[in-house]
Amino acid sequence: MSEAMKTIEVKVERVIPAPAAEVFDAWLDPKIPGNPWNMAEKLLLNPHVDGFFYWLIHGNSHYGRFTEVERPARIEHTWMSRSTSGEESTVTVTFQPKGEGTLMTLVHSGLPDTPGGRGHEKGWNFFLDGFHKRFTDASQKNK
Amino acid sequence: MQNMDQLSDVLTAISHPTRRAIIGQLANGPARFLDVAKPYNTALNAVTKHLKLLERAGLIERQKRGREVLISFRAEPLRQVAGWVHEYERFWNERLDEFEQHFQKKKEEKEEKQ
Repeated sequence: MSEAMKTIEVKVERVIPAPAAEVFDAWLDPKIPGNPWNMAEKLLLNPHVDGFFYWLIHGNSHYGRFTEVERPARIEHTWMSRSTSGEESTVTVTFQPKGEGTLMTLVHSGLPDTPGGRGHEKGWNFFLDGFHKRFTDASQKNK
Repeated sequence: MQNMDQLSDVLTAISHPTRRAIIGQLANGPARFLDVAKPYNTALNAVTKHLKLLERAGLIERQKRGREVLISFRAEPLRQVAGWVHEYERFWNERLDEFEQHFQKKKEEKEEKQ
């Protein structure tokens, strides 16, 4: 793979306190907070194999095609947005029973590893704001 | 790409709201185990598990001071990985936090009714 085509993968996991089928259905229901379809300015969603979605948020368009919809275990769809630089990335979500809950694993692969995509400070603000001072202090000590 | 395993460990460590809260608490200064565990309405062994993951990622260290063990925060691993975090990492973490909270709330409401 050439340097220009270098891609990265993002993996996020959560244990959701509900059975897999309920979690699966909620993930495809735009009314449920936290799934990608919630809070859309405009949404077209057809969650079946070869069904498409169009999702507009903050003026950014997102497009994709569902490639796997296997209730209650797995959902896979492609994902294109400004942040994928015109490349087709893939989002795979799996739902595995874990105790009384469900282990939900989301893998977003094929993301172009561009400087713009990497978030840097922008992407870390949500987390690092509180540590800013400490970070500044620590880096000054290291100099 | 250097230290992919360490990157995975750090990202795993900060992927949970409780662990982020623990880091936030320890960023204010070292604390004893029971003080770390106090704010969380959860079993002590759950807090122990969280601390183990943070330790594996190098985000905390334990130091013996006399009879006490103090847990302190280490910022270095976070600085090393900060450049690698994709905006979708943030996006999906925020989304899944919200998704998880929805179910947590639903579960608590259900338990209150019983």
